[in-house]
Amino acid sequence: MAAADSPSAALRRRDLCSRGIRLAGKMRADVVDLLDAYVERQGLDASASVAAVEGVPPAAVERWDEQTGTQRLLENLAAYRAFRALLAQMLEEQREQLGDADAALGRALAAVLLQVSAFAYHLEELLRLESRGIPGEEGAGPPPPPRLSLFEQKLRGLGVLRELAQWAVRSARDLRQLAKPSPAAGSAPGLAESP
Amino acid sequence: QNLKCVTHNLHKMICTWDVSSRGRHGQTDFCYTTNDLPPPVCFKTKETRVEIPVPESSSTVTITRINTSGTAFATKEFEIHKKDISFVPVTPHILSLTPDFSTSTLNLKWSDNGSIFPYGLDALWQIQILRKEAMEEVTQVTYYSKLTHEDVILSWNWTSDMPLECTSHYVKIRCYINATQFVGLKDWSDWSPVGVVPGKDTEPSGSGVFPLDTVVAVGSDVTFCCVHEEDQRVTNMTYGSKSYAMIPLSSRSHAIRVLNASASDTSGTNVVCTLENWMDGTVVFVGYAPDAPQNLSCETSNFLILRCTWKPGRPSGLYGKRRTKYSLFERLSGKNVSCEVSEMNRDHVCSFPVLPDQKTYDFILGVSNPIGQAESSLLVDITQRVHPKTPEKLTVSWNNSTSVQLRWFINGSFAEIRLLCQIEVSSGHSEKKLHNVSMPGGKFSTYTAQLNALHTYTKYQFRVRCSAADHFWRWSDWSRVVEQTTSEAS
Repeated sequence: MAAADSPSAALRRRDLCSRGIRLAGKMRADVVDLLDAYVERQGLDASASVAAVEGVPPAAVERWDEQTGTQRLLENLAAYRAFRALLAQMLEEQREQLGDADAALGRALAAVLLQVSAFAYHLEELLRLESRGIPGEEGAGPPPPPRLSLFEQKLRGLGVLRELAQWAVRSARDLRQLAKPSPAAGSAPGLAESP
Repeated sequence: QNLKCVTHNLHKMICTWDVSSRGRHGQTDFCYTTNDLPPPVCFKTKETRVEIPVPESSSTVTITRINTSGTAFATKEFEIHKKDISFVPVTPHILSLTPDFSTSTLNLKWSDNGSIFPYGLDALWQIQILRKEAMEEVTQVTYYSKLTHEDVILSWNWTSDMPLECTSHYVKIRCYINATQFVGLKDWSDWSPVGVVPGKDTEPSGSGVFPLDTVVAVGSDVTFCCVHEEDQRVTNMTYGSKSYAMIPLSSRSHAIRVLNASASDTSGTNVVCTLENWMDGTVVFVGYAPDAPQNLSCETSNFLILRCTWKPGRPSGLYGKRRTKYSLFERLSGKNVSCEVSEMNRDHVCSFPVLPDQKTYDFILGVSNPIGQAESSLLVDITQRVHPKTPEKLTVSWNNSTSVQLRWFINGSFAEIRLLCQIEVSSGHSEKKLHNVSMPGGKFSTYTAQLNALHTYTKYQFRVRCSAADHFWRWSDWSRVVEQTTSEAS
């Protein structure tokens, strides 16, 4: 059970949550746009089914309601760190394969990577607010990707962006959940206590 | 009956004959004489074949059958003339059959067994390529060689029209030796044992779409194949957005044939194999070989760096690590420089260091991409390709009311040449005047010039540009304008 919040901490958390929700919304919109461009520029079939991408925790979660606030934040942080590494890998592959031939797609990819990094930092802020230790990054990220063929790289990219779009939705829901004031004594829930 | 003699090496021949069922269990007395070997040579054998020398012209052979109790019961004499002997070369053997998957090329090596034959005979080799589970013949090629009385390893390459991974490829070879001196019947050897390059469809985890991430020229006909598990069924194979009729290669491999491939997008063209519960694919990049660079030109602005420019010709349509790459090789010094050129950039430029004590440069601009290569060359005398930088820090100072001294600086080392500088003087409405002055070049120097016969109390605008004096190539850009008013007459 976390100690009851001081009013300023609760205010700070609500502020961080609402800013996080806006960031997640913007990120989702940009990821959806990027997804459309990616499918078109990579010559893929938008309806192609793609296997789960290794190293990315799926956005869908069972018993979402029962998760504590800390669990939500830690899962979100793990996911966005993984996305950060995967998007950086995609950007590197894009440069290697295409040089500056498709600069627009490269820029869009870099912009989303920036947002993912910012969102990860935002989550760390929330965890720090709750004087929660920030899990270290060493070895936390996805395993180094196996040597993929170009087509596999394209499909993986599709899978990453699709999953990221799902995560953006989930993150907004998680943050809304965190932002809710606690039913008892009007104080906002300590992270451990939420839902 | 039916005595037949066959030689494999023109020296020895193997004679065989038939024996009636009655005399099968005894043995044979075999005697032969050749016209250059008077006394007959005889020996006993249980076989119905013997190896004896090839006669110069003919041989007399006497075959006597002896029954188990040792008494002769049948004898027959044969006259073997050289023309009755068949010459069938020794069956060749494949020494190595090496696949190069990246180029879908098979390299075949075999020995010509030339040491057993006289020098200089012409040999024909028939090479047969077969494919698929049913070992269908793909092609048969005749290869010519000349025997040198030594065993020579012959080598031959064949490029398949489909990736070697798609299905197993088989090779066999036979030979025919045109022994013109030999009057008997000449025939092809037997086929060699088959050499095989197994396809991925024979490997447990060989699934995939091939060729993997390859580059081909626009207009190529390309075969793609989908290797899958035995129990999987291919429902569709697409090239880009178009479905193609599938060609079964084996129970685990299906192919499509794309004709006259058109240029692909920047990210390549996807070739997708859709199976019942799986999808696999590859990417092919279809582009152009580089054109030979046009209008190759090199100049120096400071005698430190040579700056070469050219027109690239048709874009290759290949990007990133497959892009067209340029390198500048200078023959006299042997120095080679790779050029950083972006395919999206319109102007193509490469810098080469000016080398101490070298005036003439024999350049080869090499250009290559995965589809092809080309080059252009240029022989240039650096002193005849001087394009100075813009003169800087122009200052104008009065000597007197009708004469000025101009000073300017040029970034560069021109000690090896004379400079020609042009001073443009304009004032008010009068016509612009150009004054040419020539001076020895200097090393990162300031240059001066004097103009006389100006009007007093007049506002003038001055600017200057320079070039090489002896071998004009190009003017520098104009310096910035400096405005100055002459003083009143004293």
